[in-house]
Amino acid sequence: MSTSAPLEARVAIVTGAGQGVGRGIAHALALRGARVVIAARRAATGEPVADEIRARGGEAVCVVTDVTCRDDVAACVDTTVQRYGGLHVMVHNAFRGGQGHRLEDVDVDIWDQNSRTAVWGSYYCAQLAFPHLRDAGARGRLVLVTSPSGVEGSVNIPLYSPVKAAQRAIAKSLAREWGEHGITVNCIAPVAETPALTQAFSANPVLKERLEARTPLGRVGDAERDIGAVVAFLASDDAGYVTGQTIVCDGGSFTGL
Amino acid sequence: MPTSLDLTQRAALVTGAGRPLGRGLASALADAGARVAVTGAPAKGDDRLAPVTGSLATRADADALLERAHAALGTAVDVVVHADVAWATPQPFTDVDDEQWDATWEGTMRATLFLFQAAFPAMRARGHGRFMVVTPTLSMSGAAGLAPLAAAVEGQRLLAKSAARQWGGHGITVNCVAPGPEAVSDEVHADAVSLAPPALGRSGDPHDDLGPIVTFLASDAGHFVTGVTVCADGGVWMAP
Repeated sequence: MSTSAPLEARVAIVTGAGQGVGRGIAHALALRGARVVIAARRAATGEPVADEIRARGGEAVCVVTDVTCRDDVAACVDTTVQRYGGLHVMVHNAFRGGQGHRLEDVDVDIWDQNSRTAVWGSYYCAQLAFPHLRDAGARGRLVLVTSPSGVEGSVNIPLYSPVKAAQRAIAKSLAREWGEHGITVNCIAPVAETPALTQAFSANPVLKERLEARTPLGRVGDAERDIGAVVAFLASDDAGYVTGQTIVCDGGSFTGL
Repeated sequence: MPTSLDLTQRAALVTGAGRPLGRGLASALADAGARVAVTGAPAKGDDRLAPVTGSLATRADADALLERAHAALGTAVDVVVHADVAWATPQPFTDVDDEQWDATWEGTMRATLFLFQAAFPAMRARGHGRFMVVTPTLSMSGAAGLAPLAAAVEGQRLLAKSAARQWGGHGITVNCVAPGPEAVSDEVHADAVSLAPPALGRSGDPHDDLGPIVTFLASDAGHFVTGVTVCADGGVWMAP
């Protein structure tokens, strides 16, 4: 049964929460009562989001974290548990490497960015959060932020698709493996207004029209209201029987699942 | 209308022929008339298959492997079947270390990318090419104890889709063939992913059951199929 603060007494980490989708998720969780750790690579983006949440009456702290570094993720988890007494919800959203490329001559640096942030980041976040998610039992949640591109492939950013797909396979496998503890593991696949998308729209104004035209709901999602709300649902008791799934939050554009 | 399943004009490279899966697929292509080079070939096997040595650890290694296959077959490779699936032992995710993650995820993905990149130029020059990747269904189902392998296989599956989207204009198709979980582990069985047994009553034989699918996808008849995964598990997973 939902309440006005369904995530009260819950502690969450959101990676890549300094901007865009991660920021929206952090706000949505905090609004529903969770204490939120803003895990951002740079304090310059992470601290203002923690400030915003506190200004709205929520509880948040920024912990500078590079998700491609095991020690950083471990330190973030430790800091979270020390400060708030536990960890119930791990949301891995951080990503870097979305520039366009051709498969035949793509630089391996682009692969590294994609692979390190999306996949190694998922591995570290999942593995290091696990003891605390297990302690949280039926309230333990791992949410990985993937993309419709991880299901349908991508002609413009082809290496983005395999790393986003890998996250889905990790989620499904861990959902099977950790179900005995009551932990749920899911993905969301959002399309939302983010600095990256805004930049892409300004570089190619036709892109926004095309995206809106193929979207049944006719608009690009809002990171907090449209995407964050879905993560908040997955984090809540109400979603305790949903695991191993990918929820596409894109206004109905992709219907391939 | 191109309907032929004949592969006599085709030159194929099949990876992972050291195991029954790759060897069976390679023999099936040879049955259809293709000239076939294989990696990982055992000392005794199908003498129609030309063994080539090499690795896919770096782009340069992959280029060298394709050159050796070209030399062995007397013509450039225009069919690639990447059947070198890792054999895996389930273990708790908490026990996975960075070295294992690197070997399984990075190793699998980089090898596949380098293989694609190395084979692409000759296919583009010829205006014709076929890539197939063997991607067991466990990546679509998920598998307890096998998250690293599931991640790598699903990564391959989407690399194939992206390649299909980028390279279709060159007459190149890119598809996946998905055998059941028994293709990667003795310890993961069909009932781990479905309550129902295989609809066809048994798991597949690489040559007899999966071979015809790879042959079709490699052939002229398969020219309009790209970016898909054909589940060839006897009717267990039945993915969309």
